[in-house]
Amino acid sequence: MSNKEHAQANEAQTLISRPGIAGPIPAVHDMPPFAERLQRGLEDENMHRALERFAPSWRQSRQALFEATAAEYGSDYSFVALRQRLRAAKDEAIAHQQELVARFKEQATAAGAVVYEARSAEDANRYIYELCRRKGITLVVKSKTMVSEEIELNHYLEERGIKAVETDLGEWVAQLDHERPSHMVMPIIHKTRQQVGEVLSRATGREISRENVAEQVAVIRREHRQAFLTAGMGISGANALIAESGTVMLNTNEGNGRMVTSLPPVHVVLAGYDKLLPTFADAMTQIRLLARSATGQPMTSYTTFITGPDRPGKEVHIVLLDNGRSAMRADPRFKEALRCIRCAACANICPPYQQVGGHAFGYIYSGAIGLVVTPFHHGLEAAAGPQSLCVSCNACETVCPVEIPLPSLILDVRSRVVASEGLPWLKRLIFGVLARPRLFDLFTRLAALGQWPATRGTPYVRYRYLRLFEGLPGLRPLARLTRWRSLPAFARRPLRDRIGARANLAAARQEGRRPDEMTVCYFAGCMTDRLYPEMGEAVIQILERCGLRVVFPRAQHCCGLPALNSGDRQHGLAMARQTVRMLERALDESGADYIVCASTSCVVTLIQDYLRLFEDLQLQSWLNRTRALAGRIMDFTSFLLRVLVAQQRLPALRRLRPGETAPVVTYHDSCQSCNCLGLRTEARQVIRDVLGLELREMRDSDVCCGFGGSTSIEHPEIAERLLERKLRHAEETGATLLVSDNPGCLMHLRGGVDANGRPLRVLHLAQLVAEYLA
Amino acid sequence: MKSSALFAQFQSRLSAAGGVAHWAEDLAQAAEIIATHPALAEQRLIVPPAFAACQPWGALLPLLSARGIRLEEAMTPEHVADAPAGLSCASLAIAETGSVFLADNALAARIVGMLTLTHFVLVSAGQLVPLLDEAATLLQTLTRPGPQQQHYISLVTGPSRTADIERTLTIGVQGPRALCVIVVATPASDPSLFSSEEAKDRDNEQ
Ligand code: SF4
Ligand code: SF4
Repeated sequence: MSNKEHAQANEAQTLISRPGIAGPIPAVHDMPPFAERLQRGLEDENMHRALERFAPSWRQSRQALFEATAAEYGSDYSFVALRQRLRAAKDEAIAHQQELVARFKEQATAAGAVVYEARSAEDANRYIYELCRRKGITLVVKSKTMVSEEIELNHYLEERGIKAVETDLGEWVAQLDHERPSHMVMPIIHKTRQQVGEVLSRATGREISRENVAEQVAVIRREHRQAFLTAGMGISGANALIAESGTVMLNTNEGNGRMVTSLPPVHVVLAGYDKLLPTFADAMTQIRLLARSATGQPMTSYTTFITGPDRPGKEVHIVLLDNGRSAMRADPRFKEALRCIRCAACANICPPYQQVGGHAFGYIYSGAIGLVVTPFHHGLEAAAGPQSLCVSCNACETVCPVEIPLPSLILDVRSRVVASEGLPWLKRLIFGVLARPRLFDLFTRLAALGQWPATRGTPYVRYRYLRLFEGLPGLRPLARLTRWRSLPAFARRPLRDRIGARANLAAARQEGRRPDEMTVCYFAGCMTDRLYPEMGEAVIQILERCGLRVVFPRAQHCCGLPALNSGDRQHGLAMARQTVRMLERALDESGADYIVCASTSCVVTLIQDYLRLFEDLQLQSWLNRTRALAGRIMDFTSFLLRVLVAQQRLPALRRLRPGETAPVVTYHDSCQSCNCLGLRTEARQVIRDVLGLELREMRDSDVCCGFGGSTSIEHPEIAERLLERKLRHAEETGATLLVSDNPGCLMHLRGGVDANGRPLRVLHLAQLVAEYLA
Repeated sequence: MKSSALFAQFQSRLSAAGGVAHWAEDLAQAAEIIATHPALAEQRLIVPPAFAACQPWGALLPLLSARGIRLEEAMTPEHVADAPAGLSCASLAIAETGSVFLADNALAARIVGMLTLTHFVLVSAGQLVPLLDEAATLLQTLTRPGPQQQHYISLVTGPSRTADIERTLTIGVQGPRALCVIVVATPASDPSLFSSEEAKDRDNEQ
């Protein structure tokens, strides 16, 4: 390393643990530790069934609504256009927060409201309590507000003798059962009707039906009427604070929100600074996105706009809460999270969330956004456990109505957790080896020789072989991991040993080129190289059969994804630099036109994650170098379709052999392919149109298979469930071939098929194509 | 009829939200729709807010009385709670979402849409607009500081509902169980609604 690089690396180290995230903040009361919440979540079958059931119907109605609106009103009203508008409005509000606050205050005050700016949770709680005390208020009715959960207002008031009644049905049931909402929009999605019936019966002392939901709903109308008519204060949140007029906007469905804000003589609005919006027009954009994103309904029943008190004697107090938001705003990355409109789409779509629920997948705030904001509101420690559940599938980012880069923010949180708590020793060891190409080479070759007892010469590390050694120290966890998913064996001859003269980069240039010849630099990725060389051979075969010259830089190594995904920026950075340097040299020496890679995970790392990493660490020259490279990198599937097929380079396909029947194929969209690279039709076109095979779509083909890098080792229960679902859906189609274009998924899927003896063949798209070349 | 397509749109959106929209040529037809509504089959009582007496909607009240409907002016929440039907008039109906725009400073005017069992809303066909953007413009105007300022405005889209328990949709939680919007083609003379000034006056009287 040069001195300059040393300096840069040191700078990187300090930047990893950038200040801004709050240090230890006292834990909220009665919050069980993460491990306990996780265990409960995993065991709660009702809950994950409910969440799994909800997800597909929500996705469908959400999408149908957005599409219908765009069809009717034009592309200005498409999801993409709306979210760009709201994002811009929110960004403006964040950038000009001071002016907006001033404007909001001025307008709201002129309309007769009192605006109080609270720096901390304690400030806000005290203000509200003091207000109650001054006015002798002992009963408060509340409509749903997440901010009140954030600052534990109910607890604060109750400790001081003031009764706070939640009037939103779900929140009320949770309150009666001394629980927190497990979802920001559907607070008791984790409860069955039987459980709700029980809670209501206990609370009212009457027998309430365990089955009849309508009867249960009727209870709340009866029980709360009196509270509404006698409460001295109503507390609500805000969905938006509209600066131009000093107006509070509230979206509700049950009708309790309007009563809370209308009937009692004092109305307190509790809202974070992040709720500011410049204009009413912006609010309409938010309305168009909120309910569709939240529940897949077009609009909430009630959208209320309150501008100061509506009658003499009525008071409106607006408490603007900071509680970590300025720290978020000061952070160039995390300020994007302030755009959140709390629609919970990022929870609805999240596969691990569906398995464990919001009590584990989050802290007070749940879902992807919960993992991102928790460090700021409740401390980094509170986020440490929950963030480990994210499998980086990127689904949340595709549905977020304000385009928050949630998955990468979660990785930022992860790297901060790692920077403060350190990596577990095993990971440290693995990444240490991975980051040293020669050591890694030696290790995999030795492993390939020594793995026999675990593989017996098969391509798999299988449970039935490992079982014999379960007693040996250290082997038990490994054995347990293979019970539901066999692991791949190391190849005796990695791809790099099979490439022959293709390793000679300079030859490509020296030998001269025919005018139509194209040279491609093949970046295989370490998994293909060491575990699945046959996938790499298929790629090379196709490229060469298309008349391309293929070069394989032998200096290629792991791109660093496993380390980066685990929050280990130190090793990740080393591998990123190594890879960029290697690819530059390879292009330079060989004069290759493209860099092609048949692992979409690696492609995303190369063209997206590196940029973010270098940008984050302010390594400007590396950033520029990566940008220059990124334009030349293409994933194999796109390359096949957009270059080889489009330029009619693909040779004729072979005919079926006598007695051979064409297979029926089902396709799994790897998360990186569809969510990060936006590839949704390409592989299908290859299977259907290019190969002419029958493709049967499986349910939820674009939902994560559960691999999620190291998450499948850290949380095997989740990985196992997601895998089980995926394979079930694949089997339901009746297909005999399961195809994907990402080696990570293929490893996971193959292992699952092998461990359970399922009748499916799992292939890389390249292998499928290679099989049909004449 | 220029607004028939718009009305069809409004109607389908509102019905998707669990509400019902009717078209009435004039106030007499509107009165007929209300008087024959099942919500009033047993107890023939409606609680209109005080300002329902103002133009142009005030003319509806005698028409309702003539059809045997008892009218009790909405006063306090206790009085209105669980009355069979309430009556409001809207400043806009929005086809895009099936929403009605209610600007009611006066609590008495608002509670009829909060606490009664069926909520009737009248709106003139001239007030039927295609997009939510019109609501933004009107909101801007109505919230402008000054004596005319409207402090409490609601977009109501269907009856109150919840799906909190097992995602089972239940209509009628804290608010009304039914919402019935009547779009009136020619509500007597001037289709502009109650004047904000009058509303404010009544407000101050309370
Ligand atoms: S990236 Fe995937 S796993 Fe992670 S929070 Fe988003 S949806 Fe959930
Ligand atoms: S982060 Fe995006 S998707 Fe998640 S709650 Fe916020 S706005 Fe919704």
